[in-house]
Amino acid sequence: MQPEMQPVADIQLPAAPAVKALACPACGGSVELRAAGYSVSVVCQYCSSILDVADPQVKLIAQYNQAAEALEIPLGSRGTLRGVEWEAIGYMQRSAYGGGAWDEYLLFNPYHGYRWLITDGRGWSLGEQLTVTPLRDDYETLRLGNQTYQRFYEDSTARVDYVLGEFYWRVAVGEEVVGADWARPGAMLSREKNAHEVSWTRSVLLTHKEMADAFGVRKGASWPPMPHQPSPNAAWLGMGFKIFAGMFLLLAVLILAFGGTSWTSAGRFPVAPDGSERTVTLGPIHFGHLYQRVEIRADVPTLENGWVDLDYSLVDRRTQQVYEAYGAAERYSGSDSDGPWTEGSRGSSVSVASVPAGDYDLVVDYKGNRWSSGSLYSPRYVGMPEDLGWMTPVNKPEVVVEVRTGALFLSSFWIALILLGLPLLIGLIRHIQFDKARQAESDFAPTGFAALGASEDDE
Amino acid sequence: MSLSFNCPNCGAEVVFRSAALPARVCGYCHSLLTRNDGGVMVVGKSSPLPFDVSPVQIGMRGRIEDQPFEVIGRVRWAWTDGAWNEWLLLFGDGSHAWLGDAMGQFMLLRERPFSEVQTRTLKDIARGKEAMPGAEITLDARKLAIVDARDVICVAAEGELPFTPTTGWKLYSVDLRGAKGECATLQRDALATTFYQGQYVTLADLAPTGLRAFEGWALPAYAA
Repeated sequence: MQPEMQPVADIQLPAAPAVKALACPACGGSVELRAAGYSVSVVCQYCSSILDVADPQVKLIAQYNQAAEALEIPLGSRGTLRGVEWEAIGYMQRSAYGGGAWDEYLLFNPYHGYRWLITDGRGWSLGEQLTVTPLRDDYETLRLGNQTYQRFYEDSTARVDYVLGEFYWRVAVGEEVVGADWARPGAMLSREKNAHEVSWTRSVLLTHKEMADAFGVRKGASWPPMPHQPSPNAAWLGMGFKIFAGMFLLLAVLILAFGGTSWTSAGRFPVAPDGSERTVTLGPIHFGHLYQRVEIRADVPTLENGWVDLDYSLVDRRTQQVYEAYGAAERYSGSDSDGPWTEGSRGSSVSVASVPAGDYDLVVDYKGNRWSSGSLYSPRYVGMPEDLGWMTPVNKPEVVVEVRTGALFLSSFWIALILLGLPLLIGLIRHIQFDKARQAESDFAPTGFAALGASEDDE
Repeated sequence: MSLSFNCPNCGAEVVFRSAALPARVCGYCHSLLTRNDGGVMVVGKSSPLPFDVSPVQIGMRGRIEDQPFEVIGRVRWAWTDGAWNEWLLLFGDGSHAWLGDAMGQFMLLRERPFSEVQTRTLKDIARGKEAMPGAEITLDARKLAIVDARDVICVAAEGELPFTPTTGWKLYSVDLRGAKGECATLQRDALATTFYQGQYVTLADLAPTGLRAFEGWALPAYAA
């Protein structure tokens, strides 16, 4: 038999009251129940007695007679976190044996259930109990969805030191669970075990502004960092490395686009034995890129104890625009008490930046020179047979000129990369310092950058 | 085909929408009624439901697993350390499922014949053995772990139901959970063992309309 779905009737029931008031059996104070039907225990805000509200007959579980502590977030206050309004309904102060203490507020919204607000005096985290179990990648790594968490705190017993407000279980001061934690930047996974149950909670770190806007809390201590506090440098370091890589790629592309050619011979020409200045015109030389750096290299194979002055003029055949450069090759050798020596080089290399595309003539004005040690006179005027040295025609002294085009502005790109790289390096150092401080509280071996420099026998 | 009767106790109109759901609680006098070939008879009286702030209510509609549903019944169960609601969802195809509503989390569970559940551990529990929290079973090639085992008691009920929810009815209830949000419950009393299987869902997953409104709380965006 097919049942009939009744037509959608507008359910216009008046809004139900959200709060149920009950009288504390110990002090008679009016206690407000904010999650009626879910709450099992309520701690009276007037006398701190613990009441059982699991069924309509309210029972006194533990009678105390002490005023409630003033809380940073008064119970009953509401705040909106990430789009959902929450009411603080319970508060627990907990501590770990041999460890620190922390505060946990239980938040409730009838449509969204429960969350936790957790703080150890530094930042605040919003915790949600999981309905799935994280997967174990390895002993120290858990996986939830596509995120991994590194083990941070080892199993340790956590104790309830103080409670106030209402809870969905039978709460008791002195109640113990065994907790362990895993962390990743911005979030933690916590496992709590008691004799009956294992539960997992994922808590995400809230910004100070989020918490200030939602519950008006003061800013906590900011150092040392919390286990799941993201490094302030990590975010921009990642972006920085991307920019750096992008610049590097751009550079590579530019080198290819404005890239250089290999050395090609422009010509060779003899050096006048008498040392007179001469001019040769080499070319045409074609430059294909829009702009290029032109490198000119001269080699004087027979040069010895002398020098060659080289004045280059690159002349654009079309525009007659001239690009000039000056070079010299000089080389000396001899022998003294320390043995033979040489100085200088037979080659010379110069460059001209930003030469536009076109056909060029390379005009070289050059002059060979000879150096004579100790002689102050010029042999030409005394009519003696001249010692022509390296410039003697027997040597066939000549200059070999080669030309190539280099990548344009290459040096500026390197400077840009260094300027980009320097802050990256500083950021990286600060990130490592942060991560070392963050992991200093961990019960486990440092991981990632913080493991740098940590030797194995620290364990 | 839905059948309409008058409550033998107070005369109010009571509707039975499915032969699979022969029990109901009269919405006016809380009489426990069962339907048979001869008509409707009173078999007891249900306690009134205690006030709670569950967002679900009779008449809430929604859609899940590509099926529309309506909430038509509810049983409230309690154990020594708390209480929770099991809402009965009637689907468009005539099937029904339970929506567990405990500690702010929801479980969608469908009954499965226990004869299909061929695991030694669960059969032992059905025969009267105590369940061991932490013990793992494999069902349909999936691992489920026993997370809880306790005596539960029926507190109150409303609407249409597949069984008569006698106040004070005691069951031994065993909860199981898997790593991916799968869950299951085995319930045993002196007469029979029932098995329910499903998964955790969120209220948003149910695409609900007709959620219960509370003073001072805004309905969630998807239901407003």
